[in-house]
Amino acid sequence: MSARPSSRRARRRSRSSAGPVAVWLIALLIALIATVQPRSQAEVERSLVQADPATLAFSIDQLSRSNDALEMQISDLAQRKSKLQSGGSTAADQALQAELDQLRILEGLVPVHGPGVVLVIDASGLTALDLQDALNNLAAGGAEAMAVNDQRVVAGVPIMQTAGGVTVGGTLTPPPWTIVAIGDTNRLAETADAMTQQLRGDRRVRQATYRVESDIVIRAVVTERPFVYGVP
Amino acid sequence: MGRTQPLSTALVALVALAVGFLLAGQVKAQLLTPSNQVGRNQALIRSVQDLERTNQADRASIEGLRAEIDALEVQAASQSQTTQGLQNQVADLRAHAGLTPLHGPGVEVDLTSGPPGSDPSGQNRNLITYQDVQDLVNLLFASGAEGVAVSGRRITPLSAFTGSEGEVIVDQGPPLFSPIRIVAVGDRNGMEAALGDPNSVPSLRIREIQFQLTLRVRGAPDETLPAFDGSLEAPHVGPA
Repeated sequence: MSARPSSRRARRRSRSSAGPVAVWLIALLIALIATVQPRSQAEVERSLVQADPATLAFSIDQLSRSNDALEMQISDLAQRKSKLQSGGSTAADQALQAELDQLRILEGLVPVHGPGVVLVIDASGLTALDLQDALNNLAAGGAEAMAVNDQRVVAGVPIMQTAGGVTVGGTLTPPPWTIVAIGDTNRLAETADAMTQQLRGDRRVRQATYRVESDIVIRAVVTERPFVYGVP
Repeated sequence: MGRTQPLSTALVALVALAVGFLLAGQVKAQLLTPSNQVGRNQALIRSVQDLERTNQADRASIEGLRAEIDALEVQAASQSQTTQGLQNQVADLRAHAGLTPLHGPGVEVDLTSGPPGSDPSGQNRNLITYQDVQDLVNLLFASGAEGVAVSGRRITPLSAFTGSEGEVIVDQGPPLFSPIRIVAVGDRNGMEAALGDPNSVPSLRIREIQFQLTLRVRGAPDETLPAFDGSLEAPHVGPA
């Protein structure tokens, strides 16, 4: 019997000491869950719609450069429009002739010249995809006219891998490849530098060099293909 | 005994408080960094969105100006045979440069990234890259395309592809993301045969199997390509 009161006291003591601890723990847990859970959910939701900062920085750089190019085009078109509005057929003839000359250059239909870079890549085992990548990098780096081993290249000229090697516009074009690109020499040199550094790390590549030239002439032209299926 | 009970309760409370502070501090420290990152990212996102809006507005201006110039040239051409002749030549070159819409038989290629996490190496090879789009566009031209558009962006003789993981930029943007639709007008049979060749676009074929990227091809009797609405400025090159 005597044990009972003492055991009751002990239980009461244990209940009285466990109570505050439990309260503390529960309060602590509630506080932590209440704090962490909504914020974690918010973080997850945000991360779903976000690209990483490097991607965003790349986009900003690209879009800024693109918008500059678009604004330059707007200014050119606005000038052309006011010229057309101000004059009669003479002004129209001048504007049309200027556009005709510009489009012939862009489509690779006439020989061209201008400042640029000359890349020489000597390698064994490089494929059409490697050449396409090189030309695309230069185009993205500001090339306005290009040729590979005296073959004019514009987007749409097929670069193919055949049993005999790489063909450009149907012509077999074995390495070494001499790629000439006309355009903004600062941008092109930066691109060519990065390209040649990367190529020199490729075991297949024997030589990858570039030089900047103040005036390059590209005499090769593309033969215009008439539309067979498409209707403008 | 009577003095030890409040003492132990106070001790437990003190320890719980300390632990609580420590845990809260830890949680706060862990959450602060992502929150700051989120803040920085949001600022970057706002910049991208502003630039995209400018990009869109500039494109609309270019489209409008080209239409106005076209109308003025038509008007001038109606008054002079020389102007008419020049205008016909320009119209032909504009069509080849992608400056006017083009329609005819063709193919649609839908390219979709693999599901998130399907590349366990963390290299994101499940994502579409600009090289994938570049390879497909080259394949289409090589197999008979007379005109190509990538998610509504018309390819021109000066077109170039750039981008970063999962992001594809054609010429002056804006960035394109999966799914990407490439539409080509031209030799439909030739293009379908090239796209159906299991040896074409090898990088895509392998990643289709490994990382569940999808490449769907559909031929169509009449596809329409939009006109290019970007810049074709080439200030450094002139006739030789």
